[in-house]
Amino acid sequence: MARRRLAGPALAAALALVLTAGQAAACPPPQGWAGAGSIAGELWSAWWRPEPAPIPVGDHFSVRFHLCGPPVGRVQVRGWMPDHRHGMNYRPAVTLNGASGTAEGLLFHMPGRWQLILDVRGAAGREKLVGETVPE
Amino acid sequence: MTARRSGVSAAARPAAWLAGFAIAFSMLPGIAAPSPAFDFTAEEKRRILRHGPWPPASAPDPSNRVSGKPDAIAFGRALFFDARLSLSGAVSCATCHAPDRAWTDGLPRSRGRRTVDRNALSLFNLRFNRWFGWDGAQDTLWAQNLRPLLDRREMGIGPGGAARLVHADRRLSCGYRRAFGEAPGADDERVFVDLGKALASFLETQVTGRTPFDDFRDALARGDAAGQARYPAAARRGLRLFIGRGNCAFCHFGPAFTNGEFADAGVPHFVEPGRVDPGRLGGIRKLRRSPYTLLGAFNDDAQRSTAAKTRYVRLRQSNFGEFRVPGLRNAALTAPYMHAGSLGTLADVVRHYSTIDEDRLHAGGERILRRLDLSARERADLVAFLETLTEKGPRREVATKPADAACR
Repeated sequence: MARRRLAGPALAAALALVLTAGQAAACPPPQGWAGAGSIAGELWSAWWRPEPAPIPVGDHFSVRFHLCGPPVGRVQVRGWMPDHRHGMNYRPAVTLNGASGTAEGLLFHMPGRWQLILDVRGAAGREKLVGETVPE
Repeated sequence: MTARRSGVSAAARPAAWLAGFAIAFSMLPGIAAPSPAFDFTAEEKRRILRHGPWPPASAPDPSNRVSGKPDAIAFGRALFFDARLSLSGAVSCATCHAPDRAWTDGLPRSRGRRTVDRNALSLFNLRFNRWFGWDGAQDTLWAQNLRPLLDRREMGIGPGGAARLVHADRRLSCGYRRAFGEAPGADDERVFVDLGKALASFLETQVTGRTPFDDFRDALARGDAAGQARYPAAARRGLRLFIGRGNCAFCHFGPAFTNGEFADAGVPHFVEPGRVDPGRLGGIRKLRRSPYTLLGAFNDDAQRSTAAKTRYVRLRQSNFGEFRVPGLRNAALTAPYMHAGSLGTLADVVRHYSTIDEDRLHAGGERILRRLDLSARERADLVAFLETLTEKGPRREVATKPADAACR
């Protein structure tokens, strides 16, 4: 499991380049995704961005993501609040188109630190990519 | 923490002097002193500001084609007080939601035609809800209004009876026509659902007024020291607990002081020996069986623009024993508390959370509610804060024209 805390767009981008070295193949963010979050794993790395941004507490939002690495078979997206040990009260629906996708129906119902978890599966294996964010 | 202890710039010294004066003044017995105003940290201020501004912006409900329409509000008001909508002809919505009792009945468990399992929730600020009822079995206010009309323990008139009443009564029929722009049709269920929508239009108007907390919060936002100083010291200490060590604001979040979701608060689930109230677990199951949801045929919004919650809501075993997190505005007026009215006063509620039995929680490993062991003064401070969430001045029901004014 890979965990990365993002402190800001520029820092996130810089960190992504550093942290992915020796892990999953790094790739640039999709065009127009400046400020997107990144998560580096062993097999895959991911760029993700919420809509709307920043993520609001208590309102539905979606996440667009782009994965770099071997072919992707299936992706599940969920949220987890590690300090409280609970997830979301909603199960997002993921639409996958090649290595890119959208998760609809997320809702962070409490303020504080949340993990955004992409559970990625493919012929190469299975990996949980964990990013962190604080909704506003 | 005083301003001096936290370090005070030259520019802030007059304010610090004022705060010190206020502390000294507050020690004089019998004198309601202004409060020192400058002791919240930047993080605390950020958390406090998230509980406003009040009232928030609102828009008509797209799932209800008469939301916000004055004629529908007037019709809904008439329906709300009309006991003919019950099987017995003796129970109206106002029986359990009395306007002079802050839209409650003051009973632990409400009594319509028979006693029911739960406490009557107040009707304040419903337009900001995501889910409705203690178990969230309804996803719109109009669907929530249909529930007591279907439950034979409450009013129980049902679609056929309700439609027959509207057709037979000249003033109700006229009110319907004015609200919906057409005469009630032959489809009983459609007429029935429309009554729920007219009632919703009326209840959407019940938004609580400004409170002492709102004045403090806004003064904090604009840096108005004098405005902040008017907020009582005990309430401010309680507010600090609320947003901090008490962990209250995780669930009682935002301007309405609720995150709109559900929690196990550690109160008994037994309705009677051998029968439990499943709470949210049962609510989601009812929602999925109901024809009256945002995913159903009665949603007036073809785009289903507000249906994400219903589409994506997740059923988990840990939903057992969860009940809605109620908003706290005007909470001081709506005793008794919790889903079955098991706690009589705000002081009882605070004591319950302070001494909560963690072993009774069905939280599935969650770590939010913790025994706090608050002192008597801390508990009193929390109550003092909660009381500042009560709107100022006398509550007026709602100013609408009489429902039948245009139908005589």
